[in-house]
Amino acid sequence: MKRLRRAALAFLAIVVLASLLAGVFAPASYDFQFREVSNAACSTHHWLGTDALGRDRFSRLLFGTRVSLLLAPAAALISTLLAALIGGVAGYIGGKVQRTLMAATDLSMAMPWMFLLITVRAMLPLNTGPAASVVITFAVLGLLGWPAAARVVCADARRLIESDFILHARAAGCSEACIFRRQFLPNLRPVLMAQFWISIPVFILAEANLGILGLGVAEPLPSWGGLLQELQGLAATSGRPWQFAPILLLIATVSCFHLAIERKESEA
Amino acid sequence: MSAAPLLSLQISAGYAGRNEVLRDLSLDVEHGEILGLVGQSGCGKSTLALAIPRLLHMKNGTVRGGIRFNGRDLMGLRKSEMRKVRGKSIALVLQSPIASLNPALRICAQLEESWLAHCSGSSLECRRAIGTALENVSLDASRETLQKYPSELSVGQAQRVLIAMAVLHKPLLLIADEPTSALDAVTQSEVLELFSTLNRRFGMAILYISHDLRSVAAISSRIVAMADGRLTETADPERWLGQGTQSQALLAQR
Repeated sequence: MKRLRRAALAFLAIVVLASLLAGVFAPASYDFQFREVSNAACSTHHWLGTDALGRDRFSRLLFGTRVSLLLAPAAALISTLLAALIGGVAGYIGGKVQRTLMAATDLSMAMPWMFLLITVRAMLPLNTGPAASVVITFAVLGLLGWPAAARVVCADARRLIESDFILHARAAGCSEACIFRRQFLPNLRPVLMAQFWISIPVFILAEANLGILGLGVAEPLPSWGGLLQELQGLAATSGRPWQFAPILLLIATVSCFHLAIERKESEA
Repeated sequence: MSAAPLLSLQISAGYAGRNEVLRDLSLDVEHGEILGLVGQSGCGKSTLALAIPRLLHMKNGTVRGGIRFNGRDLMGLRKSEMRKVRGKSIALVLQSPIASLNPALRICAQLEESWLAHCSGSSLECRRAIGTALENVSLDASRETLQKYPSELSVGQAQRVLIAMAVLHKPLLLIADEPTSALDAVTQSEVLELFSTLNRRFGMAILYISHDLRSVAAISSRIVAMADGRLTETADPERWLGQGTQSQALLAQR
């Protein structure tokens, strides 16, 4: 198990490094068109061939990995902070505040997510720039991803507030500020970290799903979702197995992520 | 005519859905005495322990009545004033030592917070006070111990840390709610010994709450028994152990 985890971590490290250094490793820029060789097969020049517009697939995969791997944690951060704020406040104060906030959370969980995502994304003007589309895609994912985490955080906050050590701190005369800062927050940290780590792969997949619908990161900027879109229709992919590289990388990365954090959680 | 008792209360207390846990219970604790309070589990002992420093609302409980402590009516105090009494004049030691310590903070940080709750001063003064408190509970005050997390302590050590925290400000009253029930027999007698030493050294009154009559009889100067939210008997320990009272039933229970 330990070996498996190490392998998973090593794989993730390689993927992250390669994507961060995409500018160095990639044979071409993600939007450079080799006009004379569009739809090329694998070769020593183009390891994964070129797409219909003559862009080097391997380069696009590297740059796309960078987009997905940098922004999924950013979205996870947004949603974890929101969950910490909403769940934390609800749990810390309790009573009516808790009931109200958790009712709002339940309501948010009852929303049809896909529909909302599509609506929000569709409301954006068509000429949204690629960079803006990246930020918006992941910000929306982050803003919509908090409810389940908020419930977990609230339950944990409640457990802390009712714990013996906080009762004891009160009996010692500690001020409310001290209880919040020294007793409550440090003990809420583990659950927040866990929520952060487990939501990263969720957001990677969510971006991929949006991308397949053409609602993710805008062209010409590549992302895993955008790259998967190319795989629509078996006819286009038959006889070109190298086109499946993005989906394999996606599955491998998400699985490795799960392997790595599962272990981390059980150690904590 | 002796002076007014240190603590004098007459209260009723309950929780939502369970109204009468304490029924018009009246109790006096004299300056500097060790008062043992015995009773079966579920008779309201812990409710009383939390009601005195007015912490019962943390368990969703409510208290009615009057609590006079050292000439002041605690029920009439504002929140901020009550906070200054807790830990400073009335200290509390709870049943489960490990659960009473913050798992995320080192021992030294927890002792510092307790000190800072009522004192302001240089870190040197703080360290000196902590050193003295640890000495008082015969716990070694080495860097090594202070840097530990609660999970790295034995239950006995954790209980000593809690008692050190409780005596940090030399309170007038220490409320100990089943302080030995999580400890093994040897540690139990050590902690009992410690309580009576602290009582003698600082003249600190102790309200010692337990279901274990033997330990109560060993250190108390006076014992009261509680059943069903009321005080039922009161006596001095020697008479208590000899007589065929409710105490026998409690002893038989063990």
